Amino acid sequence: MVCGAIGGLGLALVAEATAQPLSWALRGLTPAGVLLLAALLMDLVNGHRDRLLLPLCGLLATLSVVFLTRTDVFLAMRQLIAIVIGVFLMVAIYFLIEDVRSLGRLKYTAGVCGVGLLVVTMLWGEVHHGARLWLAIPHLVTFQSGEVAKILMAIFLAGYVAERGELLRRTGIRRMGMRLPPLQVAAPLLVVVIFCLAIFVAQRDLGAAMLFFGLFVAMFYLATGQASYGLLATVVFGLGLVIAHHYFPHVGVRMSSWLNPWADPQGAGYQPLQALFCLGEGGIFGAGLAHLPVTKLPAAATDLILVVIGADLGLIGSLSIVLIYALIALRSYGLAWQATDRFASLLAAALATVFSLQALVIMGGVLRVIPLTGITTPFLSYGGTSVVVNFVALGLLLAVSRDCVPQPEPTEPDARA
Amino acid sequence: MQELSANIRRLAVLMLWGFLLVCLLFGYWQAVRAPGLRANPHNEQARQRENAIKPGCVYTADGEVVLRAERIADEWRPAYPQGAVYCHLTGYNRDTGLQKAMREVLLGIGAYEDWWRTVRYGPGGLDIALTVNSKAQKLATMLMRGKRGSVVALDPRTGAVLAMVSAPAYDPAVVLENKLSYEMFRNDPNSPELNRALQGLYPPGSIFKVFTAAVGLDIGLVEPETIFECSGATRVSGVLVKCRKPSGHGRLTLSWALADSCNVAFAKLAEQIGPAQFRSYLKKFHLLDQSDVSLPASQGKMADFDAYKGERELAQAAFGQGATMVTPLAMARMTATVANGGELIQPYLVAQVKRRDGQILREYSGRSLGQAISQETAGQVAGMMAQAVEKGTASRMALPGYSVAAKTGSAQVMHGEPHAWMVAFAPRQAPRVVVAVVVENGGAGGTVAGPIARELLNTLLAE
Repeated sequence: MVCGAIGGLGLALVAEATAQPLSWALRGLTPAGVLLLAALLMDLVNGHRDRLLLPLCGLLATLSVVFLTRTDVFLAMRQLIAIVIGVFLMVAIYFLIEDVRSLGRLKYTAGVCGVGLLVVTMLWGEVHHGARLWLAIPHLVTFQSGEVAKILMAIFLAGYVAERGELLRRTGIRRMGMRLPPLQVAAPLLVVVIFCLAIFVAQRDLGAAMLFFGLFVAMFYLATGQASYGLLATVVFGLGLVIAHHYFPHVGVRMSSWLNPWADPQGAGYQPLQALFCLGEGGIFGAGLAHLPVTKLPAAATDLILVVIGADLGLIGSLSIVLIYALIALRSYGLAWQATDRFASLLAAALATVFSLQALVIMGGVLRVIPLTGITTPFLSYGGTSVVVNFVALGLLLAVSRDCVPQPEPTEPDARA
Repeated sequence: MQELSANIRRLAVLMLWGFLLVCLLFGYWQAVRAPGLRANPHNEQARQRENAIKPGCVYTADGEVVLRAERIADEWRPAYPQGAVYCHLTGYNRDTGLQKAMREVLLGIGAYEDWWRTVRYGPGGLDIALTVNSKAQKLATMLMRGKRGSVVALDPRTGAVLAMVSAPAYDPAVVLENKLSYEMFRNDPNSPELNRALQGLYPPGSIFKVFTAAVGLDIGLVEPETIFECSGATRVSGVLVKCRKPSGHGRLTLSWALADSCNVAFAKLAEQIGPAQFRSYLKKFHLLDQSDVSLPASQGKMADFDAYKGERELAQAAFGQGATMVTPLAMARMTATVANGGELIQPYLVAQVKRRDGQILREYSGRSLGQAISQETAGQVAGMMAQAVEKGTASRMALPGYSVAAKTGSAQVMHGEPHAWMVAFAPRQAPRVVVAVVVENGGAGGTVAGPIARELLNTLLAE
């Protein structure tokens, strides 16, 4: 209901500001209505599930429609369709998976499919905006394979670590205050690093490389509890990026524009600088919904939707968005923590990591902590594949909460009942 | 399972730290750095926003409008009511001249952004009042017509720039009329775009003797009455110095050496001063420094006295030749220092920043850079310069009713006639006006630059 109110009000304001017919405002109710329907459907079967994640993600999806309407009405329409499909798939997944624990059996299938998708994309993917991220099934559909792969990889890693995590826990040798990994651990870590570097070089996509690397390292950490392995891998990965950047300079124009965007403010540094300028224009209280023309902001609807929000709603808006992501992360990790099953717990943690990392990588890029990448902002960015996949991931999280989180016992038996 | 839970908790905490960091960074860029980002010239959003702001006007000290904004086809465009007179001050678009240097003021943005003012008066730029006197500026522009060179007039007591003219000038409206006129302007061999007063580098010639004399007197090496020997052409420090009088002046005082512009005497004086003292006074006079008058300026140049045969360079620098290169404003500033009793005051061009309703928001004044020479020395040099007007080379500078101090210069150059120089101030006892004039390849300073300086002095003294 809250989503609907925000969406309706937001779109009414956008319609006011951009002189769109007011009928647009009604479309803000669509995601809210669909989500409400989905929630009721799920409650019909079993009322025991997480109550926080769906409203939070729904809020983001609604805001996405509001701010896409403000940047590009056509994209907002397509986003609406994607949200409806995504919610439908979410409900379908929720019902199809009778017990989320059984999903662990599919881990190798998921792993092979995930790696396969990425490799196929590296070899035959379509290049859009300089990155090889798209896979086309001719005459049928074009989709961003990395988005699909990240769910498959999450399932694979959760299953693998749940079953074989013990293998990774051989204690290594202690040298110079760091625990060096034994060969059984070092070898898979090295494979991971090389795989992620391959994503970087072949797909020219630093964002996806960082996301997958972060996911792998996080799962390694959950399996072993050794933060030093993660640090070591990160150092090697960082060095690898520097070397790869050196040998394939076309891969990373974004590197130089990250280090010094002021060197070429009209060329390579244009996008990161305009992003910062828009944030500055927003200031603390924001310039007002649809007040600034963001026509000069490249990729406003996809990479930089957060910047549009920051410009319109100011620091207050930006911090609210960060808060929503932090709450989603907190709740998802909370599910992982509460889950009674090892696989389900790891799956929830992996999905929580994917959401958090994606948000952090794009925010860090906008705020100049790391290079600006084309990674999608979960639920907010324009992008059909991204929206659908994120709702599927949400469906998995809800399934975990349904199957593996024990129902809280009523703490105080009501005497009158 | 228990260990897994602990690991999950630690991972979650790590992510939350990440979100906290992101919050802080959003705060940094959207609150702390926001004013700077909003005013940045590369900001496309700002550009669109600023195009809607009516820029402020630029006035002279006596209220003549020099630059104002005109609304043409939904856009504010700069208009130049005075044509070519102030072209080098205003510039010809938003990326040149004061329009660039004072961008934040004229648009009322950045450090000059004031939301309360915007709420009350609507978005609008601030006005700028210059120190320039419109009469003097117009007269100097007229006198320099058809010549190449520059005129600078200062108030020695405050550092206010009373006139700043560079010739050839251009009318910004004509230049921007079409593509061809703009191309012609940019490719003109006489470089009208250059503000010669601040960016032109010239050998100063004999007017530099004012400096050399001031150094010699200030360190107590000589007196105005100290005798020098001039035979017309003498070898000083291994270089043959020729005097403007081929027969030589014979025995003459330092005072007369300045008044009648004797090269030999000054080369000998510089030899006595030595490179170390010469350099230290160059610094005290800030002679080679860029002048900080809100517009782009060049740095002066001086030969390296420590190099091989550097002493030869010193002998030539004594009378402003050799590798010595200075801007007209630096020469005006040097003369103003002498006129102001030895205290060096940094010239300034922008006097006030005003709101549209006339309320003054900021007021500027010339910054004192300290005492370059003692008051006594300054008085002695002024006396010697007055002697140059009374009976020396600058006799054309004499004005009825005022005692004028001046020094001529005819700086030898590689190609063509020498550059004609004149620096002057008046009245001698309580100086109010300093003038420096240079005419490129003009010939003798006294006959070419002199009348221009005299006219200007006359007008400004009458103000």
